[in-house]
Amino acid sequence: MLWMSNIIDNKKATDGDDDLQYVVLCRKGDVDAFEILVERHQKKMLNIAYRMLGDYDETCDVVQEAFLSAYKSLNKFKAEAMFSTWLYRIVVNYTKNRLKQRKNLAQHEGGSLDESAEGQGGTACLAVPSAGNPAELLEQREREAHVQRCISTLDVEYREVLVMRDIQGFSYEEIRDVLRIPDGTVKSRLSRARNALKDCLIKVIGDL
Amino acid sequence: MKKCKNIENSLPLYAEGLLSDAEKMSVEEHLAECADCSKAIADLKKVAAMTQGLSDIETPPWFKQRIMARVREEAEKKSFAQKWFYPLRIKIPIQVMATIIIAVLAVYIYRSGDEQMKAIVPQAPQPVMEAQQEPTPAEIPKAKKAAPALLADGEKDKVSELSSLPVLQEAPQKFAARQESMKDRSVEDDSLSGAAKKSRMFKAATPAKPAPMAASITDQLQPVISVYVADVNSAVVEAEKILTNHNAKKVTKKLVDGKTILKAEIPAKNLKDVLSQLRGFGRVEEKNMPPESGEQAINVIIEIKN
Repeated sequence: MLWMSNIIDNKKATDGDDDLQYVVLCRKGDVDAFEILVERHQKKMLNIAYRMLGDYDETCDVVQEAFLSAYKSLNKFKAEAMFSTWLYRIVVNYTKNRLKQRKNLAQHEGGSLDESAEGQGGTACLAVPSAGNPAELLEQREREAHVQRCISTLDVEYREVLVMRDIQGFSYEEIRDVLRIPDGTVKSRLSRARNALKDCLIKVIGDL
Repeated sequence: MKKCKNIENSLPLYAEGLLSDAEKMSVEEHLAECADCSKAIADLKKVAAMTQGLSDIETPPWFKQRIMARVREEAEKKSFAQKWFYPLRIKIPIQVMATIIIAVLAVYIYRSGDEQMKAIVPQAPQPVMEAQQEPTPAEIPKAKKAAPALLADGEKDKVSELSSLPVLQEAPQKFAARQESMKDRSVEDDSLSGAAKKSRMFKAATPAKPAPMAASITDQLQPVISVYVADVNSAVVEAEKILTNHNAKKVTKKLVDGKTILKAEIPAKNLKDVLSQLRGFGRVEEKNMPPESGEQAINVIIEIKN
């Protein structure tokens, strides 16, 4: 039971991680415990992947793969960080791999799939705002589509920090842990990403 | 403009309040005199608001079920693999297989070693026995001739006595004789070195053992005449007379199991006459009658019984 001792050793690092008890149950063969973890993290994982990919159907595929991969490699989770951090790292890596595949495919076909994917979004189930008239709703949807399109033009390394910090609201510490890059790198990438997004949006929308 | 470029990457962090005091002062000084950068920072704040205001997307209703279906499938595969590769379940078959392989190998090595031994030592004790039991045709006449010479007179009698008994009774006697000779040899062998022993054994396989072999052959070929009479005693007296008349030597008489056995050495040429005179007493059965009828003396056994 090496993994159990690892978890105990790293308990301090993961104090307050509610997911650990379910991880332990999963390792003992309780599949239902994994369902709770899926329930807890599916939405965040889906949103991270969606903002990076810009395609809803593809996002669903990637997140499914990420969950399955997480389940298969649960024994590799050393509890050095929060379980969610480990899980988000998996989904970010899967998303980056998908983007790489897409880029390679675009190079073969001579077009940009990033551009074709942007704004298409499959049949994304966007959260319905509680109030607002249809004109405002339409305007908001359009604005969001522009933002998404501009995010899709960013380099992957800028895209990931922007999505995690400005859209999903991760702390700098969490971003550092998920992406395994230093704080300074996170900040500098984020600055460049924000400037690039601003420039893109000015180009697309005009005056902000 | 140069300064704008320099502080361009600091503006997002300034907007977020992440700059140090010195950097913050420097940026604020520049913003006070640069309208473009002031606008840029205003735009950045608007962009931040837009990104933060992006709606979350919802998971499709089937999403969790689909994930869990795949996870359960994987779990089944895992448990199946665990079943098969559970330490005890794999250890026990491996141990059983190893034991079987070792046993088979041991038997194989033992057998192949035995064959090799036979190939190296062809003069093993068993062939010696076989050679004794089954003499080659070339050896039989030699043995025949050697037998009378090697046997003492008393022994000859014993042998001729034995020849009169049923064939089945011969076997234990031969075996005993053979065992005696084997004993003698083994006593001698103990004093010999390994190499000498081997050569001795090899020699013993063929010519060194003619005596018992010759005796047995002689027994088989000795003429036996069985005479069935009404009065055994008078017939024995008459038979003795006939033998004496035909130059018989070494005539002996024995009473065994209600029959009288006469043994004598007579010239072969007289055997027919003796036989024809004995027919006058009663029914006569003859065995091992020799074909030649020369001057050579032969041992003859006459059984007289009711």
